[in-house]
Amino acid sequence: MSTPCRESELDALLAGELSAEEAERVSAHAATCATCTRALAWLRTERGWMAQRARRMPARPALRFEALEAKLRPASVARPPHREHRGWVAMMGAAAAVAFMALSMAPRSHSTSHGGFSSEDGWSEGMVSIARVPACMDPSVEAVARVEATFGACLLASPARPLP
Amino acid sequence: MSPRRVSHLFAVRLPLVGGASSADDAERRLLTRARRGDPVAFRTLFEQHSPAVWRFLRDLFRDDAAADEATQETFVRAHGKLGALRDDARLASWLLGIARHIYLESRRTRGTHLDIGSEENEPLLEAALPSPTPEDLLLDREMEGLLAEALGELREERRSALLLRIDHGLAYEDIAQVMGWSLPKVKNEIHRARLQLRERLAGHMGNGGRS
Repeated sequence: MSTPCRESELDALLAGELSAEEAERVSAHAATCATCTRALAWLRTERGWMAQRARRMPARPALRFEALEAKLRPASVARPPHREHRGWVAMMGAAAAVAFMALSMAPRSHSTSHGGFSSEDGWSEGMVSIARVPACMDPSVEAVARVEATFGACLLASPARPLP
Repeated sequence: MSPRRVSHLFAVRLPLVGGASSADDAERRLLTRARRGDPVAFRTLFEQHSPAVWRFLRDLFRDDAAADEATQETFVRAHGKLGALRDDARLASWLLGIARHIYLESRRTRGTHLDIGSEENEPLLEAALPSPTPEDLLLDREMEGLLAEALGELREERRSALLLRIDHGLAYEDIAQVMGWSLPKVKNEIHRARLQLRERLAGHMGNGGRS
């Protein structure tokens, strides 16, 4: 650092804000300059004080999020995720209803060969498949009622497909 | 002082706002989520930044209750204006800028005179003040009180600029933005604030008279 000495440069040096080249230049000067050495000691002391002061900060009720929450508009904080959730449920419900209608109108077969559902063969065994749930193929009122009660789970992983 | 001693002094590196890091990336992700209305993300941002905002406001108001109220107002406004934050890396300085606006509004409402500083060139370093000793690094209760008094005696603008630098670690450019000043004025005001602070405290440090 050429004279005159600038404290902002020493400050930037301590903060790690200087480029390697600048840091080298300022460091080389400070090593031989009593004024800069003293200024560096002050800068370090101030930073140390501030860090200690920050650690001692008292707990304040105003810094609890609950205290702030009441002042935020409910519309902009709570609604979007709620809306998303409701939208997802509505979408799933609509998909399930469409799928159930398609199943109800499809030709029925009591065959257990599942030949008509070959397109699902590649699905994981762990996933629920309509083709492997006899109740879905049972035309009785009771069976339909049972499916209606659980169709969300039944149809969730099994998109309805027209039978060949 | 030997080169070894000086290199030891340089070993202190305090984190500054705005540096690229994984923490910054995490904060950017939080900001993105908060802008989409995710309350959990906003809460996390509040919990990360509200202590610093409160401390800054307490230093300005010198009143805990006023700092409480202004901190909440800062985050209410920030919540409504998150979309206006252009540079996500500058969230801290943006929040502190809002906080200072709220402080100034409060002062104007109460009709308090705000002094305006003059723009001068950065003065040369003063050689008259003694150098602090390693013992002075410890901020005991007495010195903390003296420091608070000394800070309180600084003109508000000067105090704000100094604290934004030495307490909140803002870059000079960010302080210029918060204060609405030129870069030379920021450096000048911070330097003068430091000199005032040192003159006020030097007599209480080391062998300077503190009991």
